[in-house]
Amino acid sequence: MAGWFDANLVSILNGFAIGSLLFILAVGLSIVFGMMDVLNLAHGAFFLVGSYLAVSFVAGVSWGGFLAALAVAALFGLLAGGVLSGMTEPLARRPILDQALLTLGISLIVAEVLSIIYGNNVRSVPGPPGLDGSVQVAGSTYPTYRLMLIAVGLLLALVVWLVVERTSIGALVRASVADREMVSAMGIDNRKVKFAVLGIGSMLAAVAGVLGAPVYGARPGLDKTILILALVVVVIGGLGSVRGALIGALVIGQVESLGRALLPELASFILFGTLALVLIIRPRGLFAGKVAHS
Amino acid sequence: MSMAQGSSRRNGTRLGVGLLALTLTAACGGGGSLGGDEGGGEGGGEAGGTVTVGLVIPQAGVYTPLGEDMQQGWDLYLDQHDGQLGGYEVETVVADEGESPDTGVPAVQRLLTEGEVDALVGIVNSATALGVAEQVAEAQIPLIVANAGAEAVTKDAGNPYVWRTSFTNAQVAAAMGEHLAAEGVGPVYVMAPDYAAGQEVVAGFTEAYEAAGGTVAGQTLTPFGSTQDFQPFLSNVQSSGAEAVFVFYAGGEAVSFVQQYDAFGLKDSTPLYGSGFLTEGSVLDAQGESAVGVRTSLHYSTEIDNPANTEFVAAYQEAYGELPTTYAVQAYDAANVLDSALEGVEEVSGQAIAEALETVGEIDDSPRGPWTFNGQTPEQTMYLREVAEVDGTLRNTVVTDLGVFAQP
Repeated sequence: MAGWFDANLVSILNGFAIGSLLFILAVGLSIVFGMMDVLNLAHGAFFLVGSYLAVSFVAGVSWGGFLAALAVAALFGLLAGGVLSGMTEPLARRPILDQALLTLGISLIVAEVLSIIYGNNVRSVPGPPGLDGSVQVAGSTYPTYRLMLIAVGLLLALVVWLVVERTSIGALVRASVADREMVSAMGIDNRKVKFAVLGIGSMLAAVAGVLGAPVYGARPGLDKTILILALVVVVIGGLGSVRGALIGALVIGQVESLGRALLPELASFILFGTLALVLIIRPRGLFAGKVAHS
Repeated sequence: MSMAQGSSRRNGTRLGVGLLALTLTAACGGGGSLGGDEGGGEGGGEAGGTVTVGLVIPQAGVYTPLGEDMQQGWDLYLDQHDGQLGGYEVETVVADEGESPDTGVPAVQRLLTEGEVDALVGIVNSATALGVAEQVAEAQIPLIVANAGAEAVTKDAGNPYVWRTSFTNAQVAAAMGEHLAAEGVGPVYVMAPDYAAGQEVVAGFTEAYEAAGGTVAGQTLTPFGSTQDFQPFLSNVQSSGAEAVFVFYAGGEAVSFVQQYDAFGLKDSTPLYGSGFLTEGSVLDAQGESAVGVRTSLHYSTEIDNPANTEFVAAYQEAYGELPTTYAVQAYDAANVLDSALEGVEEVSGQAIAEALETVGEIDDSPRGPWTFNGQTPEQTMYLREVAEVDGTLRNTVVTDLGVFAQP
């Protein structure tokens, strides 16, 4: 057993790194869909905007560039989420598919604009100074940047959980999910709540794009791949639950890393196999929010 | 799903337009084809007829950079030859191949049904090439495939109208297989994406390598299009006891693979070899330092030392401000082949061009070095290339040539 653990330690570690990145990516999608009933299919496109911002600010050359890319991405995400909130408002009483079509359309437009600005070549982004190398972990070489991703992911998980569960803003968000009419009867405009939640959710997507750039690079089509991964995480974890998004992301991180290392011949099947298994056992996800979307 | 519906509707429209055009042509008593006869009818190069060539290249989707290179290679040849091939004025009609047969096959169909083209050049995707092989034969319009590397294009699905100026997947891999066996590098681990081209490369490499006495340490076919992170597969390479690794990746996967191969420390312990597409074109810039020292086999490199290549590279750099790629050379050579074929054509028709292609013989002024058609696909020199920094940019330097290889 100990031998097995040693042999696969790097894969397990890598599972945590990928899981952390997936959490930052998916938690926004999960909160927005689970709490605000908006299925934001432009989430992957916002991620890609973040990745290309990392390319623009040549994030790897200096910490200044990397932090600037993060700041601009966060600002972009907030604004984009706000705009999206306004655009989905007229569709709020229509079936969820209408919103999905709107956001899908937006994601296609964003992807096309990115391809016009940045061209179609694959771009890569080095990690910031000090994190662009590799270190020895249990006798194997491992990229330093990915170790930092684990720390950032867990930190963000803690912050988001505290905000949603332990602050009055979080309480307001949870209340407007549970009973929208009652919240507005108390004099609170729940459009503002939706505006804020979508803004922060989209901000997390764009920030994840910058953080993911040194791992995934930036290229046309990455938005779709990322969106599918995020949707799988959300479905496995359960909608509208921070804890669910974290567990879902960590599970998928391990499936994509350790699972593929142990069963390389099943590599293309194992992700959706896990998804199917979870859907059979817990159709609403492992940790569905208290008020799940039906 | 909605995207698929969108594209099929668009395809439907294209087909509809094509049919309408066909009906109109018929109604005018074949006016279109009469015009065509008038164009090339006077025969011979000196009369100054025209030939219309459909250039089918990706203008959207992941293969767009390849399409741009092919367009530039094609344009450069025409610019250098006063816009003429074999004495005929060339009119190029560009069609968007897109990413898959869903878009590529209708693009070709449209060119065929409109009845305007005398020959077709292009096609990046093998599935698209296989999808249109029968149709070009029915329409009697020759197709010169300028990239797609599936063996079947000029073998099982081949016909007298389908020609190729590029390579076959197994041809490129077999050259490296023989070389590594001769070098005695020790057990080799083989990796490629799990789709038709990847499988052909793995099979072609393994067959040639084992036939020459090499041993394979293991192989993995990674999920195509959904593998962002190669760590799980790389950890299996490390535990397999492999002394070298041979891979085939292209585009985004090539960038991720080469960078992660370095980041996870394999580059220092286990030399990386590959099919040339691993380090070809724009991916090399994105790979950066990680790619230095990677050795690949391919039928072209900008660093090949022959007068035709020196001249080609200089002209290409002057025209486009960047180094040419193998994709550009393949389109450039497609124009070259058509040039030779049209020399002997009295009256332009698809059938006449296809017949003339049989007699082209050796292409002796190609940037890749002299090559000939063998089974309608190039029998050509394969080069062993190594990535190194030259004049501040990364290039595929030529280590040696690996000999002349035909389609296996």
